[in-house]
Amino acid sequence: MTSILLAQEFKSPTIEYAKVAPLLIVFGVAIVSVIAEAFLPRRFRYPTQVVLSLGSLAAALVVTVGLAGSKLLAAEGAIAIDGFTLFLWGTILVMSIISVLLLAERAVDGGVTAFAAQAAALPGTEAEREAQARRLEQTEVFPLFLFAVGGMLLFPAANDLLTMFVALEVLSLPLYLLCGLARRRRLLSQEAAMKYFLLGAFASAFFLYGMAMLYGFAGTISFSGIAAAIGAKTGVDGLLLAGTALVAVGLLFKIGAAPFHMWTPDVYQGAPTAITAFMAACTKIAAFGALLRLFYVALGAARWDWQPMIWVVAILTLGVGSVLALTQSDIKRMLAYSSIAHAGFLLIGFVGVRDHISANTSAILFYLAAYGFATIGAFAVVTLVRDASGEATHLSRWVGLGKRSPIVASVMALFLLAFAGIPLTSGFMGKWAVFSAAWQGGAWPLVVIGVVASVVAAFFYVRVIVLMFFSEPAAEGPTVAVPSVFTSVAVAVGVAATVVLGLMPEPLLQLAARAAQLVG
Amino acid sequence: MNGMAQPDNASYYATYTTVLTVILVGVAFAAAAFGANRLLRPTRPTREKLLTYESGVDPVGEGWAQTHVRYYVFAYLYVVFAVDAIYLFPWATVFAAPGFGWVTLVEMFVFLGFIAVGLLYAWRKGVLTWT
Amino acid sequence: MSTVRVLFVLLGAVAVGSALLVVTTRQIVHAALWLVVTLGALAGCFLLLTAEFVAWVQVLIYVGAVVVLLLFALMLTRAPTRPDPAARTPNAWFAAVVAAAVAGVLVTTLVAGFSGAVIDLDRAEIGGARVTGGAVFSTWVLPFEVLSVLLLAALVGAIVLSRRDVPNRPRDAEAARDTEPARDADDRERSSS
Repeated sequence: MTSILLAQEFKSPTIEYAKVAPLLIVFGVAIVSVIAEAFLPRRFRYPTQVVLSLGSLAAALVVTVGLAGSKLLAAEGAIAIDGFTLFLWGTILVMSIISVLLLAERAVDGGVTAFAAQAAALPGTEAEREAQARRLEQTEVFPLFLFAVGGMLLFPAANDLLTMFVALEVLSLPLYLLCGLARRRRLLSQEAAMKYFLLGAFASAFFLYGMAMLYGFAGTISFSGIAAAIGAKTGVDGLLLAGTALVAVGLLFKIGAAPFHMWTPDVYQGAPTAITAFMAACTKIAAFGALLRLFYVALGAARWDWQPMIWVVAILTLGVGSVLALTQSDIKRMLAYSSIAHAGFLLIGFVGVRDHISANTSAILFYLAAYGFATIGAFAVVTLVRDASGEATHLSRWVGLGKRSPIVASVMALFLLAFAGIPLTSGFMGKWAVFSAAWQGGAWPLVVIGVVASVVAAFFYVRVIVLMFFSEPAAEGPTVAVPSVFTSVAVAVGVAATVVLGLMPEPLLQLAARAAQLVG
Repeated sequence: MNGMAQPDNASYYATYTTVLTVILVGVAFAAAAFGANRLLRPTRPTREKLLTYESGVDPVGEGWAQTHVRYYVFAYLYVVFAVDAIYLFPWATVFAAPGFGWVTLVEMFVFLGFIAVGLLYAWRKGVLTWT
Repeated sequence: MSTVRVLFVLLGAVAVGSALLVVTTRQIVHAALWLVVTLGALAGCFLLLTAEFVAWVQVLIYVGAVVVLLLFALMLTRAPTRPDPAARTPNAWFAAVVAAAVAGVLVTTLVAGFSGAVIDLDRAEIGGARVTGGAVFSTWVLPFEVLSVLLLAALVGAIVLSRRDVPNRPRDAEAARDTEPARDADDRERSSS
């Protein structure tokens, strides 16, 4: 920062456009789709938006693959393009493409998307009924979705606290909005959006305060600068500790780790299920990416200071996720607690590190990919089980589903088994990778707790399977909607990834191992 | 700020001393006027005198009315453009400096362009017309 | 520069005092107005530290725009402007304890961190428009541009949530009537007469 004090040192910035192209494509097309939303006649909006979203994400994915092997700091050091970033970009983009398919699904709810006909029409009013009758759709969800994806791409790549904060806001703000746009059960959805927004704003404030503290400590906000300041022991420890703690709160909130998980069940339940799927997979991936980069690259040398704190958080998260999931009677809430428990498993891998971060990093990368595919698939199945009022999410409605619709129930069972970490599924390989990395990192007590939590968690996953297959269906059970090609593809990709990563995890594990290099 | 030279903060404070003086004089003026008013005037309140003046008609109901949400969008547009405008100041001070020039010009206009898209959207959605 | 110090302490006291009033006043509109005083006093502090640009950002954005937004948001609610008995909750003392504890920790940290630090105000040019411009348009270009995307996303979101986009409606006034809950009809009639 001091170098800019003198006028003669001004220089125009260089941006490596080719290297940040995925980011630029997503943001650029998001803006194009806002323009499309403004100017196209209503009947053309939905197809245009779907094509734009899918096209931009696919293009960004292709460019990301083409960037393989890059290792540099781009855009004046604001973002790090390394194997880690590219792996996460690829994962987020693939998951986003699947999420767009869920967003675009029209077949399961009578030919309209799952989003509010008119977000501004109050629930239960004449205006809302009219909007419903006119079969309106709020196609702004697509540009908002793309904004969120752009933020998620920037978040784990950010190489200084300012960029990270801006990315955090860019990914959060559209998500707050999207959570409140459900077509059915709108009050619940709006409540979810409100809670998420208020708590999210609070968490952002924590992050910002922590950022100020870290700046006070190091005199810079770039990750390498903070790492250098820790190495040189120049700053004041109190500032470092307080800053680390506050920044961690902001990130752990996004991850859904206890005790900052309170929003998760309500928001996951209330949000439109496609958005829940997207949040559960992509937000978690992006936030873990950011957490790893910040804590390994910038705060890695202060590991002894933050490890105890993350230990406590990991244990709490595992406890809350596994135990409270047992008491849930709503499938979306149960999956929400399950995602909290998974955050706990990931935290074990994150904190169980001694000298070599690469083993832990690659384990987490693999786990995130495996978990993401299964999560999106599971929520996609949730959108299919419906009754007159929309999705039938209460677990009592799922009784005997296996007899009514064996395929859907089997697919759901597969995802649940993957969540439980049963061998031959992707979940098992993920847990194995994370636990063994943490064990080698010396965090064996955490691994033991993790295994116990897995056993507890397995119980509630198996309970749902038993409900579906070994109980008689109720007389007026829900129907299973026949999805269009969109949801079918999303579910099929989830199933394929879960099975393939369970049977042949080697290619992805190797890719993750090669990607586990962080530019510092 | 006097450009390239070493910052001379004595003159900086001197400038703001003028501002401070104007503020203080303004406050003193208003305080003196109202104070003198209070000292000189007779005070005989009655119930009618204390009513809100509403064009000579007796006021009805409360002073509070729930506003329409469209006002909020205007307020928000104002925030967006305030933030927008605030970046023009630092931009204006540097874009002519050596080493900046065109790149900086383009950077600012990209920023403005993005926000203009928002304005375009608002216009097409009829936010800008009063119905 | 003892005048600067005296003024700084005075403004700091005003900022802290009015901040306390923001959270303790029972009238929600007053809280918003006390916030103006707090933010204005902070702007004065920035000005005294020669962070001229930051100070005017504080005035233009926070005092000017954000508080206005806050007031508009208040006016959207049916909240009364009278002192609200519900504004005092049994949790107030608990919140006060938490706030005091947090303040204690933060003040301790800051004092421990910066007790000996001195900013030489005669030499400083830390928050001027020129320095900020140099930083924003060279080092921080990417976050700066992304910021405009954030503003755009928020604008689109605000319009989506507030604007009814139903074609062929005869009158928007009718729509406005629909959207207001029925129980409010009495209030509206009284206030509009």
